[in-house]
Order: sequence, then structure tokens, then C-alpha cells
Amino acid sequence: MTECTEAYNLSELVSETNTNLKKVKCLRCDSFILQPNSGLFTKLEMSLSIPALRQKKSIVTGDSIEYELLQNFWIVNDAFTFENIGFTNTVDNKKYLICADCEIGPLGVQNLDNPNEFYLSIDRVKHVN
Amino acid sequence: MDDDILTTLKILIIGESGVGKSSLLLRFTDDLFDPQLSATIGVDFKVKTLNVEGNKTKLAIWDTAGQERFRTLTPSYYRGAQGAILVYDVSSRETFAKLDNWLNELETFANKPDIVKMLVANKIDKPNREVTKEEGLKFARKHSMLFIEASAKTKEGVEIAFEELVEKILQTPGLWENRSTGLNVTNTSSPNQNGNCGYC
Repeated sequence: MTECTEAYNLSELVSETNTNLKKVKCLRCDSFILQPNSGLFTKLEMSLSIPALRQKKSIVTGDSIEYELLQNFWIVNDAFTFENIGFTNTVDNKKYLICADCEIGPLGVQNLDNPNEFYLSIDRVKHVN
Repeated sequence: MDDDILTTLKILIIGESGVGKSSLLLRFTDDLFDPQLSATIGVDFKVKTLNVEGNKTKLAIWDTAGQERFRTLTPSYYRGAQGAILVYDVSSRETFAKLDNWLNELETFANKPDIVKMLVANKIDKPNREVTKEEGLKFARKHSMLFIEASAKTKEGVEIAFEELVEKILQTPGLWENRSTGLNVTNTSSPNQNGNCGYC
């Protein structure tokens, strides 16, 4: 499991009201994910362990899945707040967020114990003006 | 937040296994990339934003991928849908013949009387075509459906098809409701069913 190093400056991304200053887009295909001011910034004390975007081994061969610890998220409270987003089927009471256009993911997670909290990882998207 | 959202619509994609339902929604289909979790776990549904004649519409798109192998989908899958996209593979007559079953199921379980239907003849780039365009058109006309032909290479055509479907829904009185307040991040009033999202 690897700890993700922050390759961004949070002060450039988070507004005074703790929301996303910029548009959020897919790293891979530029799909428009979130309008500015739509997600609430959260730095978790307990990092979430989410499967890595790139798996070194093939998942289909049954090798174990590699995880990454993620700490910084945009929290969204309504699925329709997203411009474009996909949800996987449920695994262990969670749905993973994926890109609606190219299906890269997981970009975040929805824990069905708190279904109105969608966690979008700041590390796994890009932010543009 | 920017402009208000006119409405949210539920759209279903149905048809036999392997006709290319899921790929209709992908911007890239022939672009191979690392094995990913989404492919392994399967996609439940997608939210997409569409601008139709200046109206911003949010779509919840449900794809049956995988479940159709168990034949009858649960009635809740159909409930509340305003639009349905029926897909067949032009290189497989069997998938065309099964459209009647899908229409029956749709008519049995969909509770909106004027649900807008679109027929998509997929994989027209394949060489061994078994169903002609005329047959597709005839079927679509008989059942009052919109009709397009598509392939992995006609992404634009698919986008236009979605717009046409939404336009038709917006023109059908009583099929949708104006979401007058728009959406905001504090709006958590939607009721929950089984701990799942409220609009399912």
C-alpha cells in the first residue's frame, strides 16, 4: 500500500468557503465531472484505502488488488450535483465512482452507510479554470 | 453554481447481451487500457449532463449490462423511466428477433404511459450484416420509436441520438417535472430506499 504524495497546492484549489474553486475534470479523457463550488473540501484524519488507478498485476487473473491511501476529497451530497459520473455495482457495501465517459477509476467512493456522501478523490482528478 | 437544471430524467438501455449497450456510452471504445476495477465490478448507472436547446438536463442512465443474462429485470429497474434505448446488433438476427420480448417487458413494467423509445441498430461497421436498415426502420415505425444506426465509430451519431431522445421527452407533456429549485450541495431531501440513492 502506498501513501499518495500531494502533487498540487491545496490553497489554489480550495475556496474561502471550503469548496472547489475550479472545474473538476477526468485526468484521462477530460470529461467534465464537477462544476466549481459543488464539492466540500475534506481532509480526512483517517485516510481511505481505495484500489489504485493502475494495477500492476491483472485483476482478472485473481491477483490481489493494490490499494492507495487517500486523504483529500471533495464531498458531494447529491449524485445529480455531478456533471458526469459513473457508479460501479456495489462491493462490500460501497459503490466506486468512475469517469462516465472513459470509465477510469475508482475516482472516489460512496459508502452505502452514508449514501448522501460521495467522496471524490482530489488526487485522481484534474482541476482547471 | 451556474445555470439551473431544467429536469432530471431516467433513461434505460436494454437489449440482448453482447449487442454493445455499454459501449454506446463510452467516448473511447477501441482504446485499450489497463484492466480496471470498473470493468471487473461492472457499472451500475451513470449521471450525464446534456444541453438540449439551451436546457440543461441531467440524465440518470441505467444499463442492464450483465443482468439481462438472468432474463427478467426487476420491475424497479423500469419504474420511473422516461426514456428507453433498445439496442440490437445488425450482424445478429437473433438480437433483432428478441426486441419483441424487450418491448413486452418494457410495456409491462414501465409505469410512465408515454415513455419515449429509441431503437439503435448497432455495429453497422461489421461485414456480416444480417438485419437491413429497412427492417430496423419498419420495426421502429410500427412501435413508434425513434431510430438510428450506430457503430463504435459513430460516437457523434450516438450523442445526437441521446439529444433527440431527450428533446422528445421534453416535448411530451406529463412525462417530466420541472426541477424548479435546481440542485445544490445541501439538497439531501431525496428519500432513501434500502440505503440506496433516492431516485432509483
